[in-house]
Amino acid sequence: MRHGKYRFLIGALAPPLLLYGVFVVSPYAQAFYLALTDWDGLSAEARLVGLANFTDLWGDPLFLAALRNNAFLLLAVPTATIALALFFAACLTLGGRRRRGVRGSGLYRIVYFFPQLLSVAILGVLFQFVYTPGNGLLNGLLDAVGLDALQRSWLADPATALPAVTAVMVWSAVGFYVVLFTAAMESVPADIVEAAVLDGAGNLTVFRRITLPLVWDSVQVAYVYLGILALDGFALVQIMTVGPGGPDNATEVIGLTLYRAAFTYGEFGYASAMGVTLFFITLTLTALALRATKRERVELA
Amino acid sequence: MYAHPSRRSLLRASTMAGAAAVLSGCVTAGGDDPAPQATGAVTDDNPLGVPDGADLEVVIFNGGYGEEYTRHAVTLYEERHPDATVTHEGLQKVGEVLQPRFVSGEPPDVVDNSGAGRLDIAALAAAGQLTDLADLLDAPSLDDPAVPVRDLLLPGVVEDGTLDGTVRYLNYSYVVWGLWYSRSLFDRHGWSVPATWDDMLALCEDIKGAGIAPWTWQGKYPEYMMDPLQSLAAKAGGIELVHAIDNLEPDAWRHEAVLAAADAIHRLAAGGHFLEGSEGLSHTEAQNAWCSGRAAFIPCGSWIEGEQQDVTPEGFDMAMAAVPALTAADALPNGAVQGASSESFLVPAQARNPRGGLEYLRCLFSGEVARGFAESAKAMPVVRGATDGLDLAPGLASVAAALETAGDDVFGYKYRTWYPELAVEVDTATGELLAGRADPEQWADRIQAAADAVAADDSIAKHER
Amino acid sequence: MRTRIADGALHLVLAAWAALVTLPLAWAVVSSLKTDAEIFASPWSLPAEPQWDNWIRAWREAGIGRYLLNTLIVVGGALALVMLLGAVCAYCLARYDFPGNRLVYHLLVAGMLFPVFLALVPLFFVVDQLGMLGTYHGLILVYAAYALPFTVFFLHAFFRSLPAATAEAAFIDGCSHAGVFFRVMLPMARPGMVSVGIFNFLGLWNQYLLPLVLNPDPDRYVLAQGLAALAVSQGYRSDFSGLFAGLIIAILPVLLAYVLFQRQIRAGLTAGAVR
Repeated sequence: MRHGKYRFLIGALAPPLLLYGVFVVSPYAQAFYLALTDWDGLSAEARLVGLANFTDLWGDPLFLAALRNNAFLLLAVPTATIALALFFAACLTLGGRRRRGVRGSGLYRIVYFFPQLLSVAILGVLFQFVYTPGNGLLNGLLDAVGLDALQRSWLADPATALPAVTAVMVWSAVGFYVVLFTAAMESVPADIVEAAVLDGAGNLTVFRRITLPLVWDSVQVAYVYLGILALDGFALVQIMTVGPGGPDNATEVIGLTLYRAAFTYGEFGYASAMGVTLFFITLTLTALALRATKRERVELA
Repeated sequence: MYAHPSRRSLLRASTMAGAAAVLSGCVTAGGDDPAPQATGAVTDDNPLGVPDGADLEVVIFNGGYGEEYTRHAVTLYEERHPDATVTHEGLQKVGEVLQPRFVSGEPPDVVDNSGAGRLDIAALAAAGQLTDLADLLDAPSLDDPAVPVRDLLLPGVVEDGTLDGTVRYLNYSYVVWGLWYSRSLFDRHGWSVPATWDDMLALCEDIKGAGIAPWTWQGKYPEYMMDPLQSLAAKAGGIELVHAIDNLEPDAWRHEAVLAAADAIHRLAAGGHFLEGSEGLSHTEAQNAWCSGRAAFIPCGSWIEGEQQDVTPEGFDMAMAAVPALTAADALPNGAVQGASSESFLVPAQARNPRGGLEYLRCLFSGEVARGFAESAKAMPVVRGATDGLDLAPGLASVAAALETAGDDVFGYKYRTWYPELAVEVDTATGELLAGRADPEQWADRIQAAADAVAADDSIAKHER
Repeated sequence: MRTRIADGALHLVLAAWAALVTLPLAWAVVSSLKTDAEIFASPWSLPAEPQWDNWIRAWREAGIGRYLLNTLIVVGGALALVMLLGAVCAYCLARYDFPGNRLVYHLLVAGMLFPVFLALVPLFFVVDQLGMLGTYHGLILVYAAYALPFTVFFLHAFFRSLPAATAEAAFIDGCSHAGVFFRVMLPMARPGMVSVGIFNFLGLWNQYLLPLVLNPDPDRYVLAQGLAALAVSQGYRSDFSGLFAGLIIAILPVLLAYVLFQRQIRAGLTAGAVR
């Protein structure tokens, strides 16, 4: 009955695995080798330099600034996005009559999702204009509501540049997670909520005791995705910021440092060492996240 | 010393068998078998000995100057060598396309290595990838067989293209940096271009009185403001200071002329002479603010006229002035300007037809092509006298006049191309200086520290002038 | 009474975010119809006369039309390729037992966790050595390769959850292995395919880094590159109204498709994410 199983398997698996091997696996493997060389991309031979690239990294102020900024993004973007998304999702589902959702919640969901449709380059170009000092939207808005004292050159001030980039990331991501969390919350059985309400539970209690634990899985998925997003940030920074990466390296991110090292300075070995470092950071964080997830599951059980 | 296994053998071992056939191609294969390079008979008509019927491949950067002039030179070449097939390709990111071709030993015959994505020319030279252009410089020019190509070039062009004593590339366009203003605006208010920095600060007060911001600048890219700063420093400290900075000499950035120049620029910021928010403007935004009359001065290179041509109001009459003298006792004369040649043309050492490459450059550096360049690209070519008698646009005419005044006193810094790592730190520090978050001392300390770090880093190839 | 006030406050908060989301977009639309002078005069002013010419200029001269076409070719091609290869691959791994199955699966899924930046430098040289730098097919293959891990991961779970009985019946009826996959299992996996297709579309549409490095030819620029080049590059002539118009043209097709199919799209996305 199952003639030619292996012939089918080979025919079916060979193309995707070849594609994957050539364009994904082999570059990753080469990166680890290149990170140990001083290859400049031009000479025929790459010289092995051992771990010199890695020791150099820890004395490179640009790379250290990038690490710091990515760490900030890693803390701020997922936290703010998830908090806002949970809040709006709760408003949408727990409000209204008998806590069945506010009127017009469908419309809100449509609108909230809009930013998800803008590619990151579009976001960068658009928000560059939003933040621009003279005739930008943000300063114009502050002026219109009488808060002109708050006007500033958002991207030119080290104190506000990175938060400004963070805000764009959060702005664009919230909608998707509102949709995600709303769907998860709607799958919470209505009778449980009703029973709690009959017992005199307020909105906040219902949210904390019933809704949140039941959507916790989705929150964790969200955290991992947003964490990966926050470790990048390259496109926004490269398009929007002063320098780019400035002012005073306030918005330098690892991706930008790596890109510049490779494609501006031709330090391909050094750039690969940054990539390898980024890989180990991602790996560590993922492992930590997975451990945290396990513990949460136990607590909930 | 430890042995270096070739990348080839290691990569073969480290990748999956299925992909190995494909991947063996991704190693650097250059060097083993240089392509045969023919030379033809040298005659009066063929002084560079281009072999008969040899094809020619030209790859150029197609940027702000367009590709009309490089095509023009192709036409001249084809007239002289009717048997040759010439291919001409314009790119915007030259490096990404050509780098692998250099590595694999199959570069084109002529390259215009320019634009943001250009290759590191010093690294190319160090890797033995560039032909010595001496033969071209000594060859008779196309215009007058009695005059060699060398004598047609403006001062500094041969020096710009010389690396470790050998001429490796020739730049085509002459860029001059200065302060740009609208002649009509200045006439209307009776302002005149200041000769010293004290005059400048006094004029700034007048301009402010008229309700116009004295200055704006391209704040997102602090390099633009570094040009007037380093011009002031060069004028006060002389050419020796410029060389000291480029040679990474200890405390060069802490020279009193550099500190005084930083202080002069800092005073613009401290005196509130910049259009509000300039530090957050992109180059186009700042230049538009200037073009719309909201600021009187903007620092820029001579390409600004082309960049702004669609939005410059009628009768704006833009002009460039040399950066004023810093003190009354400057080392360089008053009209000295920062200038540099750009658009680097080179002939790869492993080209199939290097003699043809040189011959192409002989056509390119002719008076005829240079005049066409001045007209089509609205920029100064490096060929002497090429703009004489041409009806130039107002900005370009002012640039030509400034060059005339400057004579041989044209200076230029090299650190930006030699040590891009240092340039990044210079720009960051300059941004901080102009935002008022660093004073001139802190600015100099920060840059000096970066220069010292570059000087101490063995992995960075050093240059000397 | 209390609920009504609470509901009012709720609507206020929700509407505030809706406004925050739509405002930059609406502002970009208005700006795209102003002259450059009006844009510089005030962010709030309305155009004295709508400048449709900006759109025409953006489409023709700034090359937005060409960039859009390039994007459709590359994203469309990569999407078709990754859906086909991903589905086949996920199906084999989910429904067949063979030595190395787990290894291949984990190797594929690990690709989701690796930062693309790690591969960037060697990837550039691999693509270049294959002569695919700046070509449609090069970009399509790379896009598809990097979308493969998520596609397989997602569909693997989906194929696992499908009932075995239908496939068994088809085999008994004499269907070949390929026949079972294409005629029986693939149609059953349609909801999963739709979900992962939407995710992949958004992901590929979003690409900036890969084309930036692998697609240096301005004639082949995808939208993301084209817009960024127009906004950032030195030497391009200033044309702010044209740039806003270009932004809107780049946003509109996806926005329209979303509004038309929003119910299905959101259902597809959440069906995938909340399993």
